[in-house]
Parts: sequence; C-alpha cells; structure tokens
Amino acid sequence: MPLKHPKQVASLLVFLLAMPIAVGLVGTVLPAFQYFPPLGSHQFSLAPWLTLFHSEEFYSSLTLTLISGIGAPLLAVWLALSLLAWGYEKPLFRRIEAMLAPILAIPHAAIAIGLLFLLSPSGWLLRLFSPWLTGFERPPNWITTQDPYALSLIFALVIKEMPYLLFVMLASLQTMQARQSLQVCRTLGYSRLTTWRKILIPQLYPIVRLPIFIVIAFSLTVVDLAMIIGPNTPSTLSVTLLRWFNAPDLSMRYIASAGAVVLMIVIAIVLAAWEFGHRVLQQLTTPERSNGKRQGATDYLVQLGAMLGVLSLITAFLALLVLPMWSLTRRWRFPDALPSQWTWDNIHSAIPLLIQLSSNTLLIALAATGIACLMSLLMLESKRASYTKETPPKHHPFDWLIYVPILLPQVGFLFGVSVLMLQTNINGSFLAIIAMHLLYVLPYVYLTLKGPYLAYQEEYLYQANRLRYQPWRNYLLIKLAMLKPALFTAFAIGFSVSVAQYLPTLIAGEGRHSTLTTEAVARAASGDRKQVGSMALLQAFFPVFVFWLSQQLPRHWTKWRLALKTSFSMRKKSSIDKK
Amino acid sequence: MLSVNAFSLSLDGKRLIDNLSFKIESGQVLSIMGPSGIGKSSLLNFLSGSLTPHLSASGEIYLKDQALHLLPTQERQVGLLQQMPLLFPHMSIIENLLFAIPFRVKKSERQALAIKALARLDIENKANALPKELSGGQQARVALLRTLLAEPKYLLLDEPFSKLDPALRRDVRAFVLDEIRQANIPALLVTHDPEDAKAMEGECLELKNVTSVSAVES
Repeated sequence: MPLKHPKQVASLLVFLLAMPIAVGLVGTVLPAFQYFPPLGSHQFSLAPWLTLFHSEEFYSSLTLTLISGIGAPLLAVWLALSLLAWGYEKPLFRRIEAMLAPILAIPHAAIAIGLLFLLSPSGWLLRLFSPWLTGFERPPNWITTQDPYALSLIFALVIKEMPYLLFVMLASLQTMQARQSLQVCRTLGYSRLTTWRKILIPQLYPIVRLPIFIVIAFSLTVVDLAMIIGPNTPSTLSVTLLRWFNAPDLSMRYIASAGAVVLMIVIAIVLAAWEFGHRVLQQLTTPERSNGKRQGATDYLVQLGAMLGVLSLITAFLALLVLPMWSLTRRWRFPDALPSQWTWDNIHSAIPLLIQLSSNTLLIALAATGIACLMSLLMLESKRASYTKETPPKHHPFDWLIYVPILLPQVGFLFGVSVLMLQTNINGSFLAIIAMHLLYVLPYVYLTLKGPYLAYQEEYLYQANRLRYQPWRNYLLIKLAMLKPALFTAFAIGFSVSVAQYLPTLIAGEGRHSTLTTEAVARAASGDRKQVGSMALLQAFFPVFVFWLSQQLPRHWTKWRLALKTSFSMRKKSSIDKK
Repeated sequence: MLSVNAFSLSLDGKRLIDNLSFKIESGQVLSIMGPSGIGKSSLLNFLSGSLTPHLSASGEIYLKDQALHLLPTQERQVGLLQQMPLLFPHMSIIENLLFAIPFRVKKSERQALAIKALARLDIENKANALPKELSGGQQARVALLRTLLAEPKYLLLDEPFSKLDPALRRDVRAFVLDEIRQANIPALLVTHDPEDAKAMEGECLELKNVTSVSAVES
C-alpha cells in the first residue's frame, strides 16, 4: 500500500485500538466505586464492594467460574497435546486435521445447543440406549446438562477449545523440526510418546502460550455457552454479573461493575498462577528428561488423553448431527432412537423469522469483517513500513494491543464501552453492533493475515512498479491478488467470529436487533427444540459455507478467470468473423 | 549511452567503492564482477534509484545528457532483471507481458506486441498458461521480454542466470545478448560467474576491496 505517512497512520490506528479499551476499562472501574454520571451518581463510594463481598451468590458463582475456567483449559491442553503426540503424521489423524477448521468455524453456541440436545436426560444419547439397555420408558430425573458442578459446561468448553488448540499447535509445529526430532529419538530407542513428553512439548509450549491464555480468559468469562449448558442458580460469575447488569434495579449496576473488576483480577491471577505452575512443572521435569529412560508411566496419561480427545471429537460431531434432525422432526417420542415422523413444516413456518435473523447476522458479519480486513491491511502496511530489511522488526504496539479485547471479560468491559455509544448516540443501531463486533473480529483477522502479509516477497511489487508505475493499482492487482488465499481465510475466520458473538450484539443493539446467535441462545432454554435446532443449524451453516468458499475460491480463481476470458474473447472473435 | 561518474559508496563510514566511473554504449553489456559484500548490488540500486538510506553514496549518472541521479525511480525508465524471474503467478503469460506495455500503446497494438514477443520464444500456444507451467529457462526469457516491453532506456541485470541449470545458461545468455542488441540500449550485468561476463562480449570491470578506510566521507 503506497501509504504517504505510515507513521501518522500507525499512531491513528493505535489511538483507534486503544480508545475503546480505555473507555471500557474506565467505564467498568468507575461505576465499581459508585461513580456513574449517566445515573446521576457523582460520589465515590466503597458501598458496591461491601455489598458484593456480603453476597453469597457472588462466592458460589466465583467458585463455579474458577472450577470451569481452570478445569476446561487444563483438560483442553491435556487432550490437545495427547492427540497431537499420539496421532501426529498418522493417516487417521490427518483426517481429523482436515476436520479441525470447519469445527472451528462453527459458533460455540450451536455446538452447545447440539450438546444439550445430545446429553440432556431426554437427549439423543439416552434415546439411543433406551429402553433396550437402560430400561427407561421416560427421561430419568438425572441432572446431566446444566449440572450444579459445571461439569457439562467444562465438557462444552473442552469440545470448543481443544480443536482450536490443536489447530494452533499444528501450525506452530511447522516452525519446529518435529519430524526430524522424532526420527532422531526413535533411533536412540525412545518411544514416540516419551519423545513428545521430553523433547517436543517443552519446545512447543512457549509458542502456544498466548493461545492458551486466550482459552483461559475465554473459559473464565464465557457467557452464552454458560447460559445454554452451564449451571444456573447459582450460575457462573459472568452470567450472574450479566443478570445484575440487566436488573431492573439500576443500583445493581454498581455491584455488577465491582464484580466485573473482580473478574478482571481473577483472570490476571489465574494466568499468573498458570504460568507459575508451568515453571514449577518445568523445574520438576527437567532432571527427568535426561535420566535416559526410554519410556515412562506418564506415557499412559498421553494415551488416555488421546482416547478422550477422540471421544470428545465424536461427541461434537454427534451434537452437530442432532441439530438438523430436530429441525426436521414432527414427532419424536422419548425412547425412540429416531423421529417417528419427519416434516419440513418447522422450517417452513419459521422462514420469515429465519430470513430476518439471517439477514441481520449476515449484514453485521460482512460489514464488521470487511472493515476488519481493511483495518488489518492498514495496520500491517504501516507496521511493514516501520522496518526495512536492515533494521530488525521491533515490538510493535499493535501486537499486544490487539490481544487486550480478547483477554478482557466481555461482561463489564462491554457495558463500559456502551457508555461511549450512549454518548455518541449510536447505541441500539446496526452501526453500534458492527463497531462492537469489530473489537473481537479485528484481532483474529489481523493475526491470521499477519504472517503471510509480512512474509510477502515485496520484490514482485517493486518489479510491477518498475514496469508500470501505478502504485495503488499494482498494490491491488499484484500484491493483494497474490495474497488472496490469506485474505480469504482471514475473512472467513473473522466472519465466523462475528456470527458467534452474543454479548456484543445484545449490549450494542440494546436487544433491538436479533441475530441467529442471540435468538438461539435466548430460546435454548425454552425447550422448543424444533425451532432452536433450525436456528443453530443456520448459525453453523453460514460460517462453514463461507469457510469452504474461502478455501475453494482462491484455488480456482485464476483458472476460472482465464477460462472465462478466453471463452469471452472467442465469442467476440466469432461475432467479428460473422460480420 | 549510459555514463556513471565518480561513484562512491560507504557503509557506516567504511568506504566500499571509491570513485568508480564507466561508460556503456547502446547495445553493449558491461559486466561487473567482485566478491560478495563489495557493493555490487548497491551499485545497481544506485542506478535504479532504490538505494536504502543507511548507505551513503555519491556520484552522477547520465543517460546521454539527462541527469538520472536527480530523478526518482519511476521517472528513470529503468529495466531490472533479477535472479528470480518474478513473473506474477496469478496472471497468464500474455497478461504478464501486456502488463509491461506502456499505456499509450493502442489496444490492438498491445495484443500484437505481446503475441510477437511470444512468437520469439515459440510459445504462442502458451499465451494463456500460467508462469508455473513454463520451464525455468522459458520463465527467465519471458521475464526479459516483459522488462523490454516496458521500453526501458537502460537495463540492469542482477545475476539473472545464477538460478538456471548450467546447460540452459548458455542459451539464455545468448538470448539476452541478442535482445539487448535488438533493443539497442545500454546494459549493466552484475555476476559472480566469469562465463557470464565472457558471453556478453563486452567490457568487464572487477571491483576490489578498498584497503584504505577513510573516516571522513566526501
């Protein structure tokens, strides 16, 4: 991009990134001390904190948050590492690899709803085994989903996070010489799993630390997933806080803000403790690495983890399969393994609603992702301009600022940001929703584009400008055209992030504009599986479809373009010949 | 005729090239040889107007009477050919060639010019093929023709043969020399390979280390 003033552009972008973060933080922290001019409160006070610390619900919610927020990432990391160690470069594992990206594109709410349909006492799983094995003629009184210990929430989180971690780890392995290490260690007589444990995982962990941190922050703060499949009364802290924020009694907002500050501190403490735990583990295992043992008992841990990993992938698959089944069901009595009567009526009667929800969803996602792509290009170009071949790349403010929104708890932070929207009077509009989505879409688009964009061989562009000096045109027709695969993938990832957003849509839109996600989450508890199934299905369909397009289009683009061109010119020629 | 007067180059106060002057007649190729790091590439960058700012260079370049060193790259009408052919991978061969033809050339003529270039290589049937479908030697030749179609006033060659198979090199060298003579423009070749220099049938300049380190820059 022939930017005239890359430095000024960079500072403007830093301001644009930092401003909502600053507003969100200030908008969370000040109300926690009862300072909130929009409600007419100009006095600082510690009252919200005292109320919060005397609330029993706060402690029980916090406990559940800690259990699920620490348990889920621990399990997800264990299962992902085990699957990788067990399957790396095996044929079966390659098939799993190919499935990862589509699974990642599916919004977590859709998977959670599928899990609900699968695992609840009246879910598909029990139907499959009843009554011939269990003897149940009606759903048992068990509490499987929404259990008070947040186990089903942990399970849902693991199913969402393990594929993500696996995906990131696989990408990181390309920078390590994993295959060669495995070969060398095999000739030394080490078992495959011990090699992973002693050699590869210690190298891999530092590279994937940040994605793990993102997963931890997500687990501690997730709202929509917890509403669908998490415990209620008490629920996890973020869901409790959301209820307080939305309480008719406006003074609850102060207490909720204090709780949101606590949640931020909890994230910081858990991340620090995680890192401390890793250091300790490293200290403990370092001597073991060089003791010469070729295999060890902990290999079984890896085997167990791999089995559980495969099991949870299968569960995720079943959960997605049950969504279309419900949306096509007319009659499905309890112990039947399959619906006894099928119908298109559910979908048919829901069409007006589904079209409206889909068009809202698409409008928001396309706009937010389009803007995010443009902003990422601007950011990367001004970053690229800040260093040349001779001066090594410095730490750029973009590279850490971009992570802040994904590491902060949405509940609280977004209410802080919405104060800014109230001030500028755009609250409740599509513009506000798109802006709020941008906070979460931009990081993923930027991070996806960063590697390929900065690795681009600038010589092509230089040569183009020497042959024909049209910098903007050449930027589009040469550089961006060559970066098509990365651009399309980044777009698809941004799109799926936007479609999955629940809280940003709700808060910025003030409930006036529903998307597939907000509606599906809101109705998940209603028990109307036929309706919810259709919504969740569409919610999963769009991102997967866009992702599929993003992989197919760049691959065939040039071929199709040239084929079109020759057929066109041939027709022209023949028409000239006729004359 | 391209002439360079009193070219000097320093990096961090260390003089790399001191007071180099030469002339190249139209249709001739001057070869420059010398060890790595001596500043050959920087000389090319100086000639094309893309020298990185941390190198300090002085000197004058004249094309006939025109002072090139005062012009930015895009106004110099310089052609550059590098190790990599840098054919745009997402454009067909003929699109790559058409890209280079100056805008003022009429549409009907553009097509004819590009086809004529393809005919020189006997690959008219590959007009709509993608660059990756050509062999390395053909890619190098297409890259040269593309550069020449932009009608440069002088040509810079930065080791354009080094990535080619030895067997191919001789053919490509002959092709390059032939095209330069036909285009009748001065050309400068930077290379490690004495065979390259010999094949160009022109003068050869060997750059040597400047032993005296001058602390003061001119």
